[in-house]
Amino acid sequence: MSAGSRRGWIPWILLGVLVVGVLAWALWPSGGQSDAERARSLAHELRCPDCESLSAADSQTASARAIRRDLHERVAEGQSDATIRRAYVDRYGESILLKPEQGGLGFLVWGLPVLLLVAGAGALLVAFRRWRSAEPLQPTDDDEALVREMRTGEQAS
Amino acid sequence: MKASLGVLALALGATSAFLGIAVLGWGIRRGDERLLRLGRRYAFMILGASALAVLAMEWALLTHDFSLRYVAENNARSTPLLFTITGLWAALEGSILLWGLILGGYLAYMAYHFRKRATDPVVAWAMLVAYAVALFFFVLMLGPANPFKTLASAPANGQGPNPLLQNHPLMAFHPPMLYMGYVGMTVPFAFAIAALVTGRLGEGWLTETRRSTLVAWGFLSVGIILGAWWSYEVLGWGGYWAWDPVENASLLPWLTATAFIHSVIVQERRGMLRVWNLSLVVATFCLTILGTFLTRSGVLNSVHSFTESPIGPWLLGFLAVVTVGSVLLIAWRGDKLRSPGRIDSPVSREAAFLVNNLLFAALAVVVLLGTVYPLLAEALQNRQLSVGEPYFDRMTTPVGVALLFFMAVAPALPWRAVSGDVLRKRLIVPAWFGVGVMVLAAILGVHSAWTLLTFGLAAFAIGGIVRQFAIGFRAQHAAGATWWQTPGRTVRGSPRLYGGLIVHAGIVAIAIALAASSAFTTKTEVRLNRGETATVSGYDFTYVRRDVTSTAQKRQVKAQIRIERNGKNLGTYAPSVSMFPAATSAIGTPSVRTGLLRDIYLTLVSTPTDKDRVTIGIAINPMIVWIWIGGALLGIGTIVALLPARRRVVVPPPPADAGAGDGPSGNGDGTDGDGVDHDDRDVPAAVTA
Amino acid sequence: MKHPARWVAGGIAVLLVAFSVVLATQVGSDPRADAKKSQLAGKDTPKFRVQSLDGKELTQADLAGKATIVNFWNTWCIPCREEHPELTKFYARHADDPDFVMLGIVRDDTRKAVDRWMQANKDAWTVATDPGGNAALAFGTRGQPETFAISPDGLVVGYQFGPSSAQDLETLLAAARGGTGA
Repeated sequence: MSAGSRRGWIPWILLGVLVVGVLAWALWPSGGQSDAERARSLAHELRCPDCESLSAADSQTASARAIRRDLHERVAEGQSDATIRRAYVDRYGESILLKPEQGGLGFLVWGLPVLLLVAGAGALLVAFRRWRSAEPLQPTDDDEALVREMRTGEQAS
Repeated sequence: MKASLGVLALALGATSAFLGIAVLGWGIRRGDERLLRLGRRYAFMILGASALAVLAMEWALLTHDFSLRYVAENNARSTPLLFTITGLWAALEGSILLWGLILGGYLAYMAYHFRKRATDPVVAWAMLVAYAVALFFFVLMLGPANPFKTLASAPANGQGPNPLLQNHPLMAFHPPMLYMGYVGMTVPFAFAIAALVTGRLGEGWLTETRRSTLVAWGFLSVGIILGAWWSYEVLGWGGYWAWDPVENASLLPWLTATAFIHSVIVQERRGMLRVWNLSLVVATFCLTILGTFLTRSGVLNSVHSFTESPIGPWLLGFLAVVTVGSVLLIAWRGDKLRSPGRIDSPVSREAAFLVNNLLFAALAVVVLLGTVYPLLAEALQNRQLSVGEPYFDRMTTPVGVALLFFMAVAPALPWRAVSGDVLRKRLIVPAWFGVGVMVLAAILGVHSAWTLLTFGLAAFAIGGIVRQFAIGFRAQHAAGATWWQTPGRTVRGSPRLYGGLIVHAGIVAIAIALAASSAFTTKTEVRLNRGETATVSGYDFTYVRRDVTSTAQKRQVKAQIRIERNGKNLGTYAPSVSMFPAATSAIGTPSVRTGLLRDIYLTLVSTPTDKDRVTIGIAINPMIVWIWIGGALLGIGTIVALLPARRRVVVPPPPADAGAGDGPSGNGDGTDGDGVDHDDRDVPAAVTA
Repeated sequence: MKHPARWVAGGIAVLLVAFSVVLATQVGSDPRADAKKSQLAGKDTPKFRVQSLDGKELTQADLAGKATIVNFWNTWCIPCREEHPELTKFYARHADDPDFVMLGIVRDDTRKAVDRWMQANKDAWTVATDPGGNAALAFGTRGQPETFAISPDGLVVGYQFGPSSAQDLETLLAAARGGTGA
């Protein structure tokens, strides 16, 4: 690398540092969620029983409201997320949860897409490597024969 | 009489489709040109037949002919004119009529556009496949989804359409737009199958149907955005996307079609990815049928559940035949599709398109799996499960952000290869802009990493787009255009590029709106007495009075709320609740004050039966209007991309090893002096129709 | 590349056929079948607190020792209106039974509407409102009308989603008393 192009990287390194810095600041654990935030995030995970796919956080029906109120109370009492979820599953069945389980059958939705993405990226990398090192094309015997055939066809017609 | 006319028209359509298949099939087999030329005429008969059927239904609707069951179920005497007309697509049977009409239109377009090549077996096979699809839908309409069923005794008045479908004029646009998109995907599919069957895979047939894919894609994009608008303005829950199975069903073909639009350019330039592109086209069509199946068969619960019917098994059978048949075809012809192309460098626009395809495929997999997971769980483990926002948001956000990044970088990447210097020079200014916006957002209080990244990358992308336009404008101006003529000349010089950039700008607008609204939305409820004012987020809300309007169609109770800010009156908005005679519960309608920076979204929480007190929901939703603006940009960009390029004296592109495509202009950006990397020029006229 | 491509395509075809079969098995079934059953069956009565129309507070403790029918309803839902005459007929038959209690809890309605209804219909059984919707939540209701049968020792033994006929109610009561039935 010439001195000029090396200097050309400096503003980019600076940019990179800035981006990482901002992201680090954003991701810095800020002392956990407040009760209200916990209740809200749980409300996003529960389906409103009267609706089809709206969460209890988004829906405006009376039952969604009741759920939000109930979640506030439970969070204030100190119940854990898992306890709260189990209480709702006990009452409404598994379909009240909008987030599929992480293990078991849930691997289909959580793990499989990631697996496929990684496999696809891997295939792309392999393809790039192969293209990089590929020799320029040589015509094969079949190709020569084909061209000869077409030429004679042209002459004949 | 209208029912008989309708059924007759449908029978005519089915017969024409069948005869078309027979004539074309026979013509292909015998190589008989006369038969092939005759075969294409059936397309016009199909269009005529479906138009006649639609007219018969509209006639029945407009005359409130309740002897037809469809009219009795979807129309009432009190239904306003607009919603009587749109009643055509208010329920399943009628909407298949609409599908048939649009399919007839696309068939006629195919027959006309390719009329000079009607004797080409590929065109013949494509028409044949399209006829087969049309035949399926006509059979559906003559069988399980018959819109012209009559009732033994006609009721005096009909039930009227579902209240949600007669609440807003959007009903006139959202379904037709969506259908124009869905049905349009039949055309590239037909050509893909034709190319596979005839084995004529190397002649650019797929790239030729790129135009029809683009048209269908444009309609589908606008249709999806209109659906989001519907969700926001009509349904009243305050959001625009709920990851409902029907919404996902419209998104899936959009994702594969978008991937195709990008990778077909790689095929045009390098002759590569033929199998992949064929698969994408087939997948797009299959996904439209899958989507129709999921929403019409009742296997999944969704907001559109009122459209269930017994056509599930038929659609499933059709889907299975089409999907498995296409895959087997691809397997059979796979060896003919091998292409010797290669991509020179991972840092090139072709490579970026490959990554784009990978990411879009990942998104499609996520949305598909999430949507059908409840079905799988029920079938495999007999459990009832739901999948909603938490899953989809978590899985799609990283991929979406990655796509934003590539969208920002790709237009600056030249074709083939680039040197680091050139790339750095092109991207540095947009990159600074992006990081600047990101820092600004952090200062303004955005604390979510994904949202910050989205803002930053969106700004990065906009910077790149503006840069590209600026270069183009400057070059045209330098070549002698006045400032007034410059934009037109620039765009006409390379419509695909600039159309694409406009579309990207639309996507960026939508991304910013999504990020801003998820980060900064606030929702509160206030109870107000008459004349009382509450202050929320700097706005003053005063409950003025209650209005009750009663028409034959509905009884509507509105609460007039005046909004003021710093003493200035911003207007009076009226969220309402409507009671329809046939409905069991009231339908709430929000009232939205749209602004460039934020929307004020009012809903009526308590029906003001007590006319002196009301509870309203107030939500402040930032940047929502940019979703609609983005949608408009998607449409405009598509139209621009379809414009024919201005004919110009073409300077041949420099040889590939001349170092980063340093063209005659000598400024190292591979252009001919007009700022555009001219490997973007449209494929010459000999190949396009 | 010929053979790998064929294998990939063949594999995809098999997957698609399997997927079609899965979809086919689901075509007839009701995606919300679990709505027709209650998750509370066999469990203790959930804790709840409602207000009777004359202002008294009622909880699950007030149902102890009696066979109970709890009916969630409101004034505007059409199936509730259809169910109402059946409820009246059923209650009239058992009103004099000291070991029987019928409780109608209002779900998602205004007090005013309920008052107007009671003025017009004068339902004889205990009607209570559920401010805050906690009772509706505690019982895991998804809509209305929904009817629960509770045994004297406080177990939920029967459930009906949707309108009940007088016959359905008798079955529920029999289950609550310990006989066969729902």
